[in-house]
Amino acid sequence: METAALMIRKLRLCYQDTRIVDDFSLSLKPQELGCLLGPSGCGKSTLLRAIAGFQELLEGEIWLDNQLLSTPHQRVLPEHRGVGMVFQDIALFPHLTLADNIAFGLTGWPERQQTQRVNELLELIGLSGFDQRYPHELSGGQQQRVALARAMAPKPKLLLLDEPFSGLDTELRGRLASEVRTILKSDGICSLLVTHDQREAFDFADRIAVMHQGHICQFDTPFNLYHEPSSPFVAHFVGPGEMIEARVEGARSVSSPLGLLTNDKDLGFAPGSEVQLFLRPDDLIHDDDSDYTATLVGKHFRGAHHLYEVRLDHGVVLGCFAPSHHDHAIGERIGVSLDIEHLVVFPK
Amino acid sequence: MTQSSRRPVPRFNGLLMTTVVAALCVALPVLVVVSFVITGVSDAWNHLLETLLGRYALNSLLLSTLVATGVVILGVPAAWIISFYRFKGRGILSWLLLLPMAYPAYILAYTYTGVLDYSGPILTTMREISAPAWAMDPLLNIRSLPGAAIMLSLVLYPYVYLLARAAFMDQSANLMEAAYTLGQSRSRVFMRIVIPMARPAIAAGTLLAVMETLADFGTVQFFGVQTFTTGIVRTYYGFGDTVGAAQLSTLLLGCVFFLVIFEKSSRSRVRYYSDRLRKLNQTSVTLGGWRQSVAQLLCVLPVCFGFLLPTGILLYWAFFFAELQSMWNLIVSSFFLAGFASLLIVCVALIICYANRLYPSTWLNYATTFVGLGYALPGVVVAIGVLIPFGAFDRGFSELLRPFGVEPSLWLSGTLIALVFAYLVRFLTVATGNLTSGLSRVRPSIDQSGRLLGLSQMGVVRKLHIPLIRGSVFTALLVCFVDILKELPATLILRPFDFNTLAVKAYELAGDERLIDAAVPSLCIVLVGLLPVVWLNRSVTRE
Repeated sequence: METAALMIRKLRLCYQDTRIVDDFSLSLKPQELGCLLGPSGCGKSTLLRAIAGFQELLEGEIWLDNQLLSTPHQRVLPEHRGVGMVFQDIALFPHLTLADNIAFGLTGWPERQQTQRVNELLELIGLSGFDQRYPHELSGGQQQRVALARAMAPKPKLLLLDEPFSGLDTELRGRLASEVRTILKSDGICSLLVTHDQREAFDFADRIAVMHQGHICQFDTPFNLYHEPSSPFVAHFVGPGEMIEARVEGARSVSSPLGLLTNDKDLGFAPGSEVQLFLRPDDLIHDDDSDYTATLVGKHFRGAHHLYEVRLDHGVVLGCFAPSHHDHAIGERIGVSLDIEHLVVFPK
Repeated sequence: MTQSSRRPVPRFNGLLMTTVVAALCVALPVLVVVSFVITGVSDAWNHLLETLLGRYALNSLLLSTLVATGVVILGVPAAWIISFYRFKGRGILSWLLLLPMAYPAYILAYTYTGVLDYSGPILTTMREISAPAWAMDPLLNIRSLPGAAIMLSLVLYPYVYLLARAAFMDQSANLMEAAYTLGQSRSRVFMRIVIPMARPAIAAGTLLAVMETLADFGTVQFFGVQTFTTGIVRTYYGFGDTVGAAQLSTLLLGCVFFLVIFEKSSRSRVRYYSDRLRKLNQTSVTLGGWRQSVAQLLCVLPVCFGFLLPTGILLYWAFFFAELQSMWNLIVSSFFLAGFASLLIVCVALIICYANRLYPSTWLNYATTFVGLGYALPGVVVAIGVLIPFGAFDRGFSELLRPFGVEPSLWLSGTLIALVFAYLVRFLTVATGNLTSGLSRVRPSIDQSGRLLGLSQMGVVRKLHIPLIRGSVFTALLVCFVDILKELPATLILRPFDFNTLAVKAYELAGDERLIDAAVPSLCIVLVGLLPVVWLNRSVTRE
């Protein structure tokens, strides 16, 4: 059996008398960056609080590095768990300098090593020389990086990140998520991020658990989540796309309003069954040379590319990516072609 | 990681116990007083019903209405001018307007009575210049119901001023500008946007003032206006009728709780209007010429009559006429009592606040809300509600000890224990309010960070909470201290025989018509009372 850093088994949690997590299991490998992705209210923050030791369990177990942390009857106190956490509202101690904030968890370390660790982390987060500043003198992004450094300082066995970027503006969010990933990878800390933002999750994680109503729908790499979602919920949650009607023709092909489509893996449906085919905007490409045309009914300019909405002759409306400089007018007929690596089908 | 660091989840402990006991303590006087409603009526009650009750009710109602009108007239225009206009002296006036808060109404009453005396400086001068009778008569008649309303309005308007100012300044400039772009004139915007949005705040301030008016004893007693509070004291002492006094108290409590509910509902809407957008005061208009003079006058008048003039008079009397020697003992004993009681109150309040923070639950929330009602209880009612059960205890305890040859004595009711207990009941909310707001700024994630970085629960309190809420603890202590120093009726009724405080001394001297001698204790109360006003204003402007 593969060794796991964090292992959660059959967890059941309540929040204010409502059961919000049930039969939840998850494990993370050492040095892995995991992510819980789900809409707000799906129980992901409560789960994080349970791992940190602030939340009672109704059922199940939480293990970290082969050590039992929580059961319904016992739990190791938060300060003895070796778990670090970065909070949504940052929660830097307002009365302490950056150096004192970062050194806060280093009680018991010799003075020299404390200073060394603080300087090392300040350099890692790109804030060398800011050690005597106070939190309120920094920008939001800088504060969040200090919060990260503070949580990393005592070298926790596991780092939890509770929507740490949601208070920041969109542009900074994506950049910081990748930055934090680089920092954590360089330190080799096993981490778990909680977020409702799919792009943030893709930027950050090795593997993502998509959560819905207290359950994990799918735990997989970002690539697989996007291209091979296991349920319609996951398919819609991790990116745009449309369902169209289709019928299974053979083990590896379906017939659809777009014609007969084939891929190189088994679909798992009996021939003749009615199914739903899920198509993402990148499955349909704008191609001026294509013989197949569709009517442009909507367009969203995204800078680097266009996202077009096209109506096929059968009435189905699909998304379609086009290069940035292909600027067509609404109502125009444009050429499109399919570029499908694998078919995503769900039972009807 | 040791086995001992694993703990079962806590279910019950000392913090929760203390909170429950505190809630029961605060409940005791109310329950005692209200329980007399079901004990039937006394003879004196029938007499009361026939003769005096109507007068008490009418006077209380009349006084409340006049004070409500007065505080709005004094407070709202001043708040409006300070919020919307720039003029010379605006900065200093904005906080001078708060100073009358330092005065208990009864001290203002003693001071004005002394000045407006028949042989006092003003009427003597008016007689010398042969002023007409219609100008002199109202001044002579200061000791009346309208006079009491003026005194109370002068010290209570800052509630309205403060809340209205905050409401005006919180309104977003964008809303007003949106109204202008929709073609509304300045006056229509004022009437249709500014005033309606500030109305809940103005109502809340006015209701606070009315609650204080109903609780007032010193002013109405001195002016000979018969209200519920004087009626309760008179029934208790004059007729020796405990049941009647308790029943009158229940009536007064009914009125007060009605107001509390009203106030809470209007205040819950205040928050709704605050907005993080661009604030109004950045768009205020600069005044010049006669407009500036009118603005200054409207702000100066309340300060002048509510603070500057009476303080000047008190200072003059204190320095030139009064003897200071006998006052030292009084100051020491008053400060000792207030200091001890406020320390106790803040300690209990800290325990309650922590219980709520660490073990939040619905029933605990109810218990805390119940504790919060203490401040709404008039001092007279608290005193009666403490005196009745403590007196019963004393009698029972003496009876119990009689076989052992112990003389009957006042074990509780005639001691400082009763007095400190009454202060606890009445002022616990002041402390919990201050501490709750201080603790709420320390978000739960701060605690959790501390725990995850290796602190125990006590370590979180020591290394994070104490440095972060030091200011709130100090404010709570200061406000409790001053409130206790000012508190008259509870002290008067519950103090031990040989024990005097500044407030009681001022009351006694004024009762003997020695108004000039009352200046020294009065001045002490007012000067100490200034501290929290200045301190709070400073922290408000700093934020």
